Amino acid sequence: MRKFLTLCISLVLLLGLVPAIAEDSVEITFWHSMGGVNGEAIVKMVDDFNAANEGKIKVNVEYQGSYDDAINKVKAAGMSAMPADVMQIYDIGTRFMIDSGWALPVQDMIDKDSYDISQVEPNIAAYYTVDGKLYSMPFNSSTPLLYYNKDAFKEAGLDPETPPTNFDEIIEMAAKLEKKDADGKVERYGFGMGNYGWFFEQWIGKMAMHYVDNNNGRGAEPATKVAFDENGGAVEIFKVWKKLYDDGVIPYLNRGNTEAKQAFITGKIAITLESTAALKSLLTNVGDAFEIGTGYFPNIHADDKGGVSIGGGSLWMLNTGDEKRQDAAWEFVKFMIAPEQQAFWNAKTGYFPITVATHELDAFKDNLAQYPQFGTAIDQLHSTAPEFAGSLLSVFPEARSLVETYTERVINGELSIEDAVKNLAGEINSAIEIYNLTN
Amino acid sequence: MSLKTVSGNSQSNAMNKGSSGLYSRIEPYLLLLPAFAIFGMFLFYPFFRTIYLSFFLTDKFGNAKVFWNIRNYADLFKSASFWTSITVTVKFVLGVSIGSLLVGMITSLLTADEYPGATFAAGSYAMPVAIASAAASMAFRMIFHPTSGLVNNVFGTHINWLGSPEWALFSVTLITIWLQSGINFIFLSAGLRNVPKELYESASIDGANYFQKLFNITIPSISPTLFFQIVINIISSFQTFSQIKILTQGGPGDATNVIVHAIYRDAFFNFRFGTAAARSVILFVIILIVTLIQFKFEKRSVNY
Repeated sequence: MRKFLTLCISLVLLLGLVPAIAEDSVEITFWHSMGGVNGEAIVKMVDDFNAANEGKIKVNVEYQGSYDDAINKVKAAGMSAMPADVMQIYDIGTRFMIDSGWALPVQDMIDKDSYDISQVEPNIAAYYTVDGKLYSMPFNSSTPLLYYNKDAFKEAGLDPETPPTNFDEIIEMAAKLEKKDADGKVERYGFGMGNYGWFFEQWIGKMAMHYVDNNNGRGAEPATKVAFDENGGAVEIFKVWKKLYDDGVIPYLNRGNTEAKQAFITGKIAITLESTAALKSLLTNVGDAFEIGTGYFPNIHADDKGGVSIGGGSLWMLNTGDEKRQDAAWEFVKFMIAPEQQAFWNAKTGYFPITVATHELDAFKDNLAQYPQFGTAIDQLHSTAPEFAGSLLSVFPEARSLVETYTERVINGELSIEDAVKNLAGEINSAIEIYNLTN
Repeated sequence: MSLKTVSGNSQSNAMNKGSSGLYSRIEPYLLLLPAFAIFGMFLFYPFFRTIYLSFFLTDKFGNAKVFWNIRNYADLFKSASFWTSITVTVKFVLGVSIGSLLVGMITSLLTADEYPGATFAAGSYAMPVAIASAAASMAFRMIFHPTSGLVNNVFGTHINWLGSPEWALFSVTLITIWLQSGINFIFLSAGLRNVPKELYESASIDGANYFQKLFNITIPSISPTLFFQIVINIISSFQTFSQIKILTQGGPGDATNVIVHAIYRDAFFNFRFGTAAARSVILFVIILIVTLIQFKFEKRSVNY
């Protein structure tokens, strides 16, 4: 009995001590959406941060599933309290996060800390800047790229150093790259791509057009309707899809990127479109099977004058109201974009180094020398003017998914291209209208 | 006032218990309270809240914001994609309920007799019960891959099983039949074991063949199990979600957009709880009608 009592007392005393120890150390939570190779890299970076800030700041890293899942979780949780201090959110969640009022604009911390923001790539910062205010810190930025199988190019008698730059060239090259077996069945398609709404947005930008009104959703007032129906952009894109599919140039590779990526890795398609973020995982998965080449994301027409906008995610600081935790979160954000971290991040994933100074580091230069493919994405971004920063829209996740649905309706002949564009614009417009009415 | 006193008195007099009269009157309600509180919180409140929300537009928090009258319903009834999702749901539910019942029936009949390997076979037929539908869907996504999937390789076909409007619903139905066949197998096997052996013996003496025995003895004897299984199949196929979410996301077009998936998209992807609530109410009405029909049918053809 006495033993038990002593034990109890010592336990209580011990418990009393814990807050005293924890007093100086701040614990914050970081939500991210990186799976696979990229997820391992992010965990390593967080571990490094925790080791460097032992006893001061501890970051709990939590994987929250895909971008869609993560933003839906914060929407659901946001009704009561902020579930995390720092959160990775995709490009198309930007307008929603600004409107929600849950975010602590990083501009506030930059001003408070007199942080020199000029070291962040201006083209990337432009995307997350609205009304002259940087809302979230760019972190994992990507653009779409064209990936091609150099061995297949050689086999087909094409120059493995000149990838196609527009769809006329793609169709021409794909005809040479296609391989059929004795029964006339296709063994390898020349080209194939996932039905991914992001590409649609990129092609609109490539044609130097706007996706929505009000300065592409970047004005003081949020967007009220889509613009791609009136400016003709959607028709042009659907025409390309329809032609590729009807002429048998491409197999249909389902929504999203998963199937297309696998088809490219297994050599079933010779050219594909994917995010720069897939570069490392493609290199790893393809291994020595064939050599991967990278090119700029293709134009719809040969004479398109626009450019690609960045995608991927950025780090959002959530407004927890606790200044101590916000300061700790800011330290963490600064760490994640430091040149050394960005060089590591770039080499492990394929995402851009978002800090200019990264380009001077040996780690970055060595990786680029070994895999010149990493350079294409950076050149492509630098050759794009910041005015093609891309559109912002509150209901972007829904719009993107509607674009994918309507692409399927077009290629399966359920709707004519004109009707598809009309209905697609109608559905997105009514979603925008309802959103603006209720929020 | 006086009336109240009188009636109170007469009550307690009748009960001959004085002060404990009140308690004994409310006691049953007290005993009901825990169950009622749980049902109320998780069933009745959400039910009425759903009906309420279906007349509103909601903000991103899911709060009713703008009274929208019946426009949520009107818009749904006007939209082609809503009617597609109803047709798709009906096809899917019929396919899965009948298919998995047939598979369960055939497999349980195959393993009803004793022979070497019967236990192993029974084990494999029951296995889908233990498989998480999400995990199975991930595997089937690879198996049905358009260019390098197992199915296309084995059969030498070039079919996009999940991406073409002709095949997507069929493929998803097939996978769901397989997943649900396990529970059908288990219940029907248990039902078969309870059929008295004497019935078969006397039928054999009368010279009945296998199919005569099947239709005149087996099926009538297990009809309560069959009825139960049909009800369960219909309910769980209406609820099917993870296969659709993982394999097709309702596509291509709306070819596999069953109503539960459409509700999910509206509520947790588009964050328009009003439309989602309206869809839910419609789904409720459909299931109510189906259940009423089933119980009508039960009286006619189930022998207890």
